Amino acid sequence: MSKKKFSVNGTFKDSVNTVKFLTERKQFIDSAPAVLPTRTDDFGVNKVAKSLHPKEQKLVISRIEEHADIAKSYYFNSEAPLAYFKAGQYLTFKLEIGNSVVTRSYSIASSPASALNGEYQITVKRIADGFVSDYILDSWKVGDEVTAYAPEGNMTYNPLRDAKSIVAIAGGSGITPFLSLARAIEQGDEDCTLTLLYGCRTSGEILFKTELDSLSEKNEKINVIYVLSHSDEEGYEKGFVGADIIKKYAPDGNYSIFICGPGGMYKFLEAELPKLDKERKYIRFEVFSSGKKTEDPKEYSITVINRGEETVIKASSSETVLCAFERAGIVVPARCHTGECGFCRSKLVSGKVYIPEGEDKRRIADMQFNFIHPCCCYPESDLVIRIN
Amino acid sequence: MIKNYDAVVIGAGNGGLVAAARLAKEGKKTLLIERHNLPGGFATSFVRGRFEFEASLHELCGIGSITGKSPLLKIFQEVGAADKIEWVALDEAYRLLTLEDDKCDYLMPLGKDAFINKLEEYDPGSKAVVTKIFDLIESIEKTLDFVSNIEDFKPSMIKEIFSEHTDFLKVANYSVDEVLKAFGTSQKTRDILNGYWCYLGQPTDELNVIHYFTMLHSYIIDGAVIPRGRSHQISTALLEAFTENGGDAWFNTSVKKIIVKNGAATGVMLDDGTQINAKAVVCNASPYNAFTKLMDEKDVPEKLKKEVNAKTLSAKGFAVFLGLNRSADEIGLNNHTYFIYPTNDNRKCYELSKRLETNDVQATVCLNRAFDDCSPEGTSILYMTSIFAGDEWSKVSVKDYHKTKIAFAEKMIDNFEKATGVKIRDYIEEIEISTPMTYARYTDAPAGTIYGYEASKEDGIVKRIVFDLIDKGMPGLYFAGGYTTRHMGYSPSYTTGDMAAKNAILAMEKEAK
Repeated sequence: MSKKKFSVNGTFKDSVNTVKFLTERKQFIDSAPAVLPTRTDDFGVNKVAKSLHPKEQKLVISRIEEHADIAKSYYFNSEAPLAYFKAGQYLTFKLEIGNSVVTRSYSIASSPASALNGEYQITVKRIADGFVSDYILDSWKVGDEVTAYAPEGNMTYNPLRDAKSIVAIAGGSGITPFLSLARAIEQGDEDCTLTLLYGCRTSGEILFKTELDSLSEKNEKINVIYVLSHSDEEGYEKGFVGADIIKKYAPDGNYSIFICGPGGMYKFLEAELPKLDKERKYIRFEVFSSGKKTEDPKEYSITVINRGEETVIKASSSETVLCAFERAGIVVPARCHTGECGFCRSKLVSGKVYIPEGEDKRRIADMQFNFIHPCCCYPESDLVIRIN
Repeated sequence: MIKNYDAVVIGAGNGGLVAAARLAKEGKKTLLIERHNLPGGFATSFVRGRFEFEASLHELCGIGSITGKSPLLKIFQEVGAADKIEWVALDEAYRLLTLEDDKCDYLMPLGKDAFINKLEEYDPGSKAVVTKIFDLIESIEKTLDFVSNIEDFKPSMIKEIFSEHTDFLKVANYSVDEVLKAFGTSQKTRDILNGYWCYLGQPTDELNVIHYFTMLHSYIIDGAVIPRGRSHQISTALLEAFTENGGDAWFNTSVKKIIVKNGAATGVMLDDGTQINAKAVVCNASPYNAFTKLMDEKDVPEKLKKEVNAKTLSAKGFAVFLGLNRSADEIGLNNHTYFIYPTNDNRKCYELSKRLETNDVQATVCLNRAFDDCSPEGTSILYMTSIFAGDEWSKVSVKDYHKTKIAFAEKMIDNFEKATGVKIRDYIEEIEISTPMTYARYTDAPAGTIYGYEASKEDGIVKRIVFDLIDKGMPGLYFAGGYTTRHMGYSPSYTTGDMAAKNAILAMEKEAK
């Protein structure tokens, strides 16, 4: 401090002011009531947060709708209010099948508004070797209670980022997030236009055709085009959804492309989309896993550390670490199964894993400290993993 | 199942992580419990598309990139985390812009001399008085060092404070404005010096001067840094250091109850019924959560109940995270930290920030100006934070939630473009928006508060520190983090985590004797 004495209101008054704080403080605390404060969960903000992101939702199957032999739609309600969501998001279900505990995600087909009215809808398609989908299709019945987490996912329309026109490319059961979006547009909850290019093998495989036709008919913001790969039928486009079909139906001006469908569709589009010369920001897709490595599977063991307790389980180089966990009934809070959400993040204490190119969505520091997302890691040696 | 530990730490936020790391380093058998799947609390990051976004850190003060005087770095070194973190030093303090009335544009550097000289350029004739202010800032810092290093408070220390720390004592109970005005500063000098007010969320007409000056010291005199791996790198480094020193960390695990016997905390009960006995319970959860969720009402001391009720919750957070598909150079994002206020009258800003329609406060960071390779070539990262005084967001319904957050984010983007003349809207490749609900979701913050309790006149930092020395509330229970003596923020939370651990160790040693 400079030699010249500094004071705010004069030396005496400053001293008095400082001494004052002892009594001020005592009064401040003493005058407050000696009762418990508001519970954190009772603040308005926390109530909404909890309602948007419940830890778990107990859902009861209220209705099952068959779509020929291809798929079934499951409708759920619950005693508690259902978590609201954005069209394009998915629900992750937790299932106990035999000794396994698995999680699987399904895009929500119903509109966000219907969640506020107490209903969700998902659609499950029968696929070859679908361990979980077979289980659901064969055993879920009306009245069953199932467990789902809160809606998650980033393939949602954001007017600050996306063009106001969306060209959605759907393949097979990948229609569901866009059905939700179409319904949200119809109900006035999303303010964008939707050109839906829906690829199926044959017209018989088109899901929700009546409703989609009706939405396309009555709402000028919605336009649905069916593209059939394996049959030539009148009134339908023929082939796969590629650059030519996109150009033919895309609206004038700028548009964003949203994609959801099976792996083969992504592979085809990977070659097609560059022809449109669009900036990366205008192409969004629900990420997918490239799946099993096909070489001779090798057997490995994983030592799983959970709260200090060790369990040794079997694993195969052709299946993800998460898959090994699921088979062994080891519960980790997995959601997306594509490496994106990071819920299953665990510490790789020792060993080596393979992460398919493009699926490593880890944080920089997680790579530094050897944390992995087991849902997209394949064992390449015996492993020691700390899950908790 | 019953397990015995020396210490149990509830929550792996900044305070909890440092407390745990310190306890383990000092050889205490420690269990760290976190209900999420990753450490850090607010100090984390998330990946969207090809961008990794910092969740909350703007820049870290207290590491001392300029002076090398680094109380915080010393903590990181001592617990074994420092060499796991890569720091990037900043040279810019902030660019201060206002939207209306007193429209201004000041770009201030870090470093004491550089700062004083730049202020002289903007406000000729200010140098002499600003130099004196910085002298006072340094003098106050010496006192705070003394107080911080008090491990075992004895009344005789009061005598030392009265004889050796007169500057501190003179101003200890004044606001920033009262002191700056007493120096005879001009309005312009005060406007520039007060630029950081939004980091504490309190207007300078009531914000305690010691509080603000110590912040100026750690930013401007000591220098600020950014961890290359985002704050998640700090969080994970602390966790690694903790486990390397023998600590146990259990994630996806919730504490159900703090066990209290004869007025002292003796352990915790977990969600699965496991009982953890411990000599010390360090609580990184807020007192709201501790008292209303983790403790029986009869176990909460009357004094602690009164304390919570006397205090007011501070600012509620809102942030927009943008991944832009152009480089910072191409767009013209030339600065690291932008403070954009409706006016330099921060009391008015504070009052306006109570409502969605009138809140125009933002602190925005372009991370590429710390290190350009934080995002892929040809892209950049910009994140904008706003604070809300009051509890406006509690009026937002579930149904209106998404629209409300998009609308406010849009206003922030518009304000940024208006204030800087830089266009960003067309380059948004990734966007994420966090609201008070987001902070409530991830940290259980009451009302989505990001700054703990208000740094009000009645509850300023000096009062908190002095009264904490006198009475810590409950034997065996040590609070760490944003609701404690040092107010919310990275550096303060790490510091209080360390203090909690040291207090716990001291009590254990006393007990052993």
